[in-house]
Amino acid sequence: MAKWFTDSGSQNDVVLSTRIRLARNLKGIAFPGKMTDDDALRVISLVDSALGEMNYTFTKIDIPSLADAEKQKLVEERFISPAIAKSKQPCVAYISEDELVSIMVNEEDHIRIQCIYPGFEAQKALELIGRVDDYLSERLDYAMHEKYGYLTSCLTNVGTGMRISYMLHLPATVMSGAADSIFATLGKLGITVRGMYGEGTKSVGNIFQISNQTTLGRSENEIASAVSEAISSVIAKERELQTKLSEKNGIVLEDKILRSYAILKSARIMQSKEMMELLSDVRLGLSLGFIDDTDYTVLNNIMITASPAHISADLKCATATDRDVTRAEMIRKAF
Amino acid sequence: MLCSNCGIKDANFHYKQVNGGKFTEIHLCTECARELGYIKDNESFFNIGSIFGDFFSVPKTVSSSPASLKCPSCSTSFDSVRRTGFLGCDKCYEVFAQPIEAMLAKIQPSTVHKGKLSGADGKKIERENTIRNLKEELKRAIIDENYEQAAVIRDKIKEYEKREDENNG
Repeated sequence: MAKWFTDSGSQNDVVLSTRIRLARNLKGIAFPGKMTDDDALRVISLVDSALGEMNYTFTKIDIPSLADAEKQKLVEERFISPAIAKSKQPCVAYISEDELVSIMVNEEDHIRIQCIYPGFEAQKALELIGRVDDYLSERLDYAMHEKYGYLTSCLTNVGTGMRISYMLHLPATVMSGAADSIFATLGKLGITVRGMYGEGTKSVGNIFQISNQTTLGRSENEIASAVSEAISSVIAKERELQTKLSEKNGIVLEDKILRSYAILKSARIMQSKEMMELLSDVRLGLSLGFIDDTDYTVLNNIMITASPAHISADLKCATATDRDVTRAEMIRKAF
Repeated sequence: MLCSNCGIKDANFHYKQVNGGKFTEIHLCTECARELGYIKDNESFFNIGSIFGDFFSVPKTVSSSPASLKCPSCSTSFDSVRRTGFLGCDKCYEVFAQPIEAMLAKIQPSTVHKGKLSGADGKKIERENTIRNLKEELKRAIIDENYEQAAVIRDKIKEYEKREDENNG
């Protein structure tokens, strides 16, 4: 198994990834918002020993000691959150050898376990994260309540502490003007729509993160099923709208998509936002069969590896123009 | 006890009245008591006792407004919990139990956890919850005079309690 963006997954034409995270805290230690550095170090040491015995290898990363671009690179790959990248207190992330699981320690909660799969894979993600959580719960004293379940720093995460989040590409939903009403319907079902990097971020390149809003009163399976069912409808609608768009404006759409592909293949300077918009067209072109000489994993891989922090961290580009030139070169090589 | 008007804050204004031979009680937080005209602006509710005489009672346990109530473990104030939805530690859930229940009822579909609970503590809570639910079922079966079902439930309870004793022992 490799990183979620280098592997293909089920329903990859619309679903880029399935991510589940669980929020957990330790009994008797102040939550990260109130903890001292000594508390933070204690939590790290407890998680360290618990994971040390596990037959599943993790790499430990000390977040505050990383350079900013390295932190952002992990954010872009979605192994850590933007919040922990900014944290000043002792905090670490553990990334599993197969790169499916990451564990953040001292983010908003003491422990945030996260599992990410390419494509539409709720069941696999639930099983794997359940195994890691069960293992840790046998070795750590989780804070829990007889009525409310797992106790979390914020009341919006209490209960299961679970958030299931799908990353979707919805170009036809946006182009046809149906996005607002579909997202409003999802809102009524307790499902939130956000930009690519979660809370407070905007959608770029028609990519959205869709997840459950509430965590208490339903089991993990019930939450996952409810969100997955809603997502299935969103996927079906997107495909239906794609077909309609293609039937209505076939040649115009094909022209736009192939022009975008041509720009990606030949541009010498490419900004990140422009890249995301052009990649969205190419992805739609793959879905509609206008393009057949590349695949979704190539697009996912470019989307992440040509993101700003990846280029800054890997290639030590000095200026924004240097980065844009390097990005254009990377894209040309990929196609 | 929560304010019967806003349902969020603790009631620290308790008003009893006899009207037409009927005895009624009103329980409000300071803000709602002020809004509904039971307390005049700039007048502390502690002074109201003299106005309403014996009909007014202030519980001895309430020494200050709940907004300033603090968690003894992490010193998070209720005011901060109410404003942000963030708690400072697991103890806060006991200290601010009543308002938290009201806040959860507003933002979550239910206030009872239905998912898994792992680890030794989790298994214990799950067993206790099962026994409590079975006892409720038993009561209902007896009320419905469904004695056959009641006997089955009673045996289940005994089995769970025995398992609990073994685990504790």
